[in-house]
Amino acid sequence: MTAFDVVLVLLAVCLPLLYPAMAVAAGYEKAMRYALPLLPLPALMLALGTAPGWQLELPWLLNGGLWGMDELRRLFLLLTAILWTLAGVFAVGYLKAHHLQRFCVFWGLTLAGNLGLTVAVDIASFYSFFALMTFAGYGLVVHEGTAEANRAGRVYLAMAVVGEMAILAGLLLASAAADSQMLPDLPAAIAEAPQRDLMIGLLIAGFGVKAGLPLLHFWLPLAHPVAPTPASAVLSGAMIKAGLLGWLVTLPFGETSLPMWGALMVVAGAVASLGAAALGVCQQRPKTVLAYSSISQMGLMVLMMGAALANSDVAQPLIAGMALFALHHGLAKGSLFLSTAVAIPLAPGGRWLMWVLIALPGLSLAGLPFTSGAASKLVMKELLEPDNLEFAMAAYLPMLISAGGIATMLLVWRFLWVQRANASYGGNSAMIWLGWGMATVSSLGVFWLLPQPGGLPPTPGLDAMVNQSWGLLWPALAATLLASVVLAARSIKQR
Amino acid sequence: MTLNAWLPVFALMTSLVASLVIFALPERGYRLRTAVNLGAAVFKLALVAVMVWGVFQGVEYGVSFTMVPGVDFVLKADALSMMFAGLSAVLWFLTTIYAVGYLEDSPNRSRFFGFFSLCVASTMGIALAGNLFTFFLFYEMLTLATYPLVVHRGTERALKAGRTYVIYTLTGGAVLLLAIAWLQGLAGDLHFQEGGHFGGADPAMHGSLTLIFVLLIAGLGVKAAIFPLHGWLPQAMVAPAPVSALLHAVAVVKAGAFGIVRVVYDIYGIEASSALGLLEPLAWLAAFTMLYGSVRALFQMDLKRRLAFSTVSQVSYIILGICLFGPVGATGGLVHLLHQGIMKITLFFCAGNYAETLGIHRIDEMDGAGRRMPGTSLAFTLGAFGMIGAPPLAGFITKWTMGTGALAADMDWVIAVLVLSSVLNAAYFLPILHRLWFREQSGKWPHERYWGRLETSAWLFWPPVLTAVMTVLVGVLASFPFSPLSWAELVVLRAYSS
Repeated sequence: MTAFDVVLVLLAVCLPLLYPAMAVAAGYEKAMRYALPLLPLPALMLALGTAPGWQLELPWLLNGGLWGMDELRRLFLLLTAILWTLAGVFAVGYLKAHHLQRFCVFWGLTLAGNLGLTVAVDIASFYSFFALMTFAGYGLVVHEGTAEANRAGRVYLAMAVVGEMAILAGLLLASAAADSQMLPDLPAAIAEAPQRDLMIGLLIAGFGVKAGLPLLHFWLPLAHPVAPTPASAVLSGAMIKAGLLGWLVTLPFGETSLPMWGALMVVAGAVASLGAAALGVCQQRPKTVLAYSSISQMGLMVLMMGAALANSDVAQPLIAGMALFALHHGLAKGSLFLSTAVAIPLAPGGRWLMWVLIALPGLSLAGLPFTSGAASKLVMKELLEPDNLEFAMAAYLPMLISAGGIATMLLVWRFLWVQRANASYGGNSAMIWLGWGMATVSSLGVFWLLPQPGGLPPTPGLDAMVNQSWGLLWPALAATLLASVVLAARSIKQR
Repeated sequence: MTLNAWLPVFALMTSLVASLVIFALPERGYRLRTAVNLGAAVFKLALVAVMVWGVFQGVEYGVSFTMVPGVDFVLKADALSMMFAGLSAVLWFLTTIYAVGYLEDSPNRSRFFGFFSLCVASTMGIALAGNLFTFFLFYEMLTLATYPLVVHRGTERALKAGRTYVIYTLTGGAVLLLAIAWLQGLAGDLHFQEGGHFGGADPAMHGSLTLIFVLLIAGLGVKAAIFPLHGWLPQAMVAPAPVSALLHAVAVVKAGAFGIVRVVYDIYGIEASSALGLLEPLAWLAAFTMLYGSVRALFQMDLKRRLAFSTVSQVSYIILGICLFGPVGATGGLVHLLHQGIMKITLFFCAGNYAETLGIHRIDEMDGAGRRMPGTSLAFTLGAFGMIGAPPLAGFITKWTMGTGALAADMDWVIAVLVLSSVLNAAYFLPILHRLWFREQSGKWPHERYWGRLETSAWLFWPPVLTAVMTVLVGVLASFPFSPLSWAELVVLRAYSS
C-alpha cells in the first residue's frame, strides 16, 4: 500500500467518526448540514480507486487490528458509500432545524460504524464498528421524538442488544476455537469445532436481527419507517446488509456442507420472502410497505445462503451472487425510500415522468428485463439450478424463486398504490431532487458498470435477457393480474 | 540502603505527610491547602511512574523491618502492586481536583482533605504491602480513614450509613485478622510471592487451609461487596460525590478485590487454590453477585444508588476473572481492576456534576440534561457504554479477555453469565441515556447554578471528561505497551512463569 492509500483508509473511517466533534462548538449547524454528503466520499474513493487485496495492520488497536478489502468487501463498501452519499445529499434538503446537530452526530457515528465494519478484518474492530452502527442507529430511529418513534426505538434497542450479545457469544466461541483474533480464521475453525452448531446458531441469530430474519424482524417494520426518510433509506438499503456481510465473513461457507442448516435457512428465507409480502400488502403507509419488502428481499438472499451452507462446493459463487443481489437491492430500495419524501410535480407531463421514475427501481426489484434486478435474478436462478445442488430442498428452489418474484411485484404495486394516496404535490428543494435523482440513476446504472467479482458466472448480457424474458416477466405479470383482480373486485364492491 | 529500597516508602509517606500538613492548616487556607493537595498528588504520580518503569525493567523495590520476631513490616513493589498503585495515583490526582471544586464553600474542608489524603496513604500501603500483616495494617487504616469521609455531611442519614459501614468493615477486619493469625500459626509469616506458598502442601493441612481461605475471603469480601456482604455499599452513597467516586472506584472495594487477588495468587498460589477446589465455588459466588447487583440496580430510581448496585456487580467481574484458572482469564480479571475504576469514577463524577449543577439526584429528573450539560453527559454515556461492555471501550476488553479465558478453562457457563450481565447492564443504563439525549426537559431543573463559559465549574468539568477519554483509550489502544491490558498480561506472565 502506498502512503496515500493508508491515509485514504484512515480518512474513510475517521472522517465520519470525528465529524460529530463539530457539534461541540455552537454555530456550525449549517456547516454540519452541508458536510453530510461529503462524509462517505473517502470511502467511495477507496472502493473505486484501490485494487482489492490490500491490508493495513494496526497492531496497537484493540486486540491487534487488521483492516483490508477483498472483492466481497469492495462490493459492500461500494454500496455503503454510494447510498450514504446520496442519502446525505437528500438529507441536506430534507432535514428540518429540529435537533439538527443531534441528528448529524448520530448520522456520522452510524456511518462510521457501517463503513468501518466493511473494511474490518480483525474480530474486535469488526464487532466494535458493528456495535457503533447499531447503537448510533438508535439516534436516527427515535429522532422525530414521537411516541411511535420512541416505541419503535425501544423495540429496536431491545432486539439489538439481544443480537449484539448473540454475536458476542458466537464470536467468542469461534475465536477461542480458532485461537485467532482474525475473521478469516473463523469459518474453518467453526467447521471443525465440537460446538459447531451452537456457534452457527448464535451467529445466524445475532446477525439475523440486523438482516431481518423471520421472528427476529419485529423491530424492522417499526423502526425503518419512523426514521427521517434519508435515514430510512440507509437503514433499509445499507445497514440491513451489514447483517448479511456478518454472515458471509463468519459462517463456514465452503468449508463443510451443512444440510441441516441449509434446509433451515431455506425455510427461513421462504417464510421471509412470502410471509413478509403477505403482511406487507396489508400495510397502509408507503415506508412500512417498503420495510416489509426489504424483509422479503432479504429472504431471497437467505435462500441463497441456505443453498451455500448446504453445498460447500458452490458456496463461493453463491456468496458472490448474494453480494451482487445485496448491491442491487440496496440501491433500488434506497431510491424507493427516498421517493416517499419527494413531492410530485403539478404539471401533467412531469407527473407522469415522475411516477415512471419512482416505479422503475421497484420494477427492477421485480426483475423486469434490462434492469439490475433481472441480472441478479438470472444469476440467482442459474446458481440455484437444482442440478448443481445436492440437498433435499434443492427441488423447491425454482418454485420459491418464482413465488418470491410474484411477492416482490405485489409489494411494489402495493407501495405505488399507497404512495399515490400519501404523496404530496408541489416543488422540491434542489438537494432533494439531486439526491433522489442520483439514487434512481445509480439504481438503474451502477450495476452495469461493475467490475466482475471473482468466481461469478458472467453477468447476463442483453441477449440472455431477451431469451429469458418470459421467465423474467411471468411472475410480474401474474402479480399484476392478481392486483388488478383485487382492485376490480374492490371497486365493484364499493359501488 | 539504596534509593530503590526507599522509593515505596516515599510513595507512602507523600500522602501521609500531606495529610498531616493539611490537618495542621487553618480552615481558611484554601490556596495553600489546594497547593499541598495537588503538589502531593503530582509528586506521587511521578514516584509511581518511576517505579512502574523500574518494575517493567525488572528492578526490585522493597524494604523490610522486623516489628516483633516473626512479624515483619514489608513494603515492596511488584508488577501487581503497580497496577493498584498506578490506579490509585492517577485517579486520586483527578479526584483531588474534583473534590476541590465540589467542596467549594462547604464547612470542615480541612478535616475532609486530611482524611482524604490519609485514605490515599492507606491504599498506597495496601498496594505496596509485601506480606499479609502489612496488608492488614493498611486495610484497617483505610476503614478508619474513610469513616469520617462517609459521614462528612453530618446528617442523620450520613451517620446511619457511617454506622453500617463501620459495623460491616470492622467485623470483616476481625474475621480477616483471625484468618491471618491462624495462617501465621500454621505456616509462619507469609510474604506475597508470585506462585504462592502452598504448591505442594501437606494433604493433612488441606482442611485448615480451606477453612482459612473461606475466612480470608469472608473478611476481604466485605469491602469487595460480594453478596451477601455488600449491604454497606448502597447506603454509603450518601457521602459526597468525590467520596463515593473514591469508595467505588479506587479505595475500598478495590482494596477488597486486590486482597483477594493477593490471597489467591501470592499466598495460596493459583495452582494450589485450584487443586484445593476453592476457585469454582468462589467463581459461582462472584457470578451470582454480578447478576444480583445488576438486578437490584435495575430497580433503583436514585442515580447514585443505581450506580452503587452496579459497583456490587462490576467488582465481582474481577473476582470471577481471577477464579478462571489460566493466564487469559486472570488477565481479564486483573485488567478490570483498572477498567472498572476508570469507568465507575467517570459515572460518579458525572452523578456529582448533575447534583451540583442542576440539583438532579433522581433518574426521572434527568430528562433533557444532555442539552444543558453535553460534556458531562457525553462522559456519562461513554462510562455507561463501557460498563455494558460495548466495544471498543474498556469494559469490552475485559469481557472479551475473560470470555476467552473462561473457554480456555473449560468454564463455558461463564459466557452465559457475561452475556446476561451485559444485557442487565444495558437494561439499566440505556434508559438513562435515552432520557439524557432524547427526552425534552420537563420543567425547571431542581436547583440550577451557573458558572460562566463551561456547563459547570471547571474543577468539576474536566475530571470526568478526562476519565471518559481514558475509558475510550484503554479500550481502543489495548494492545499498546503500558496499557492496562498489556500490564495485566505482564503481571500474569510473571505469576504463571514462576
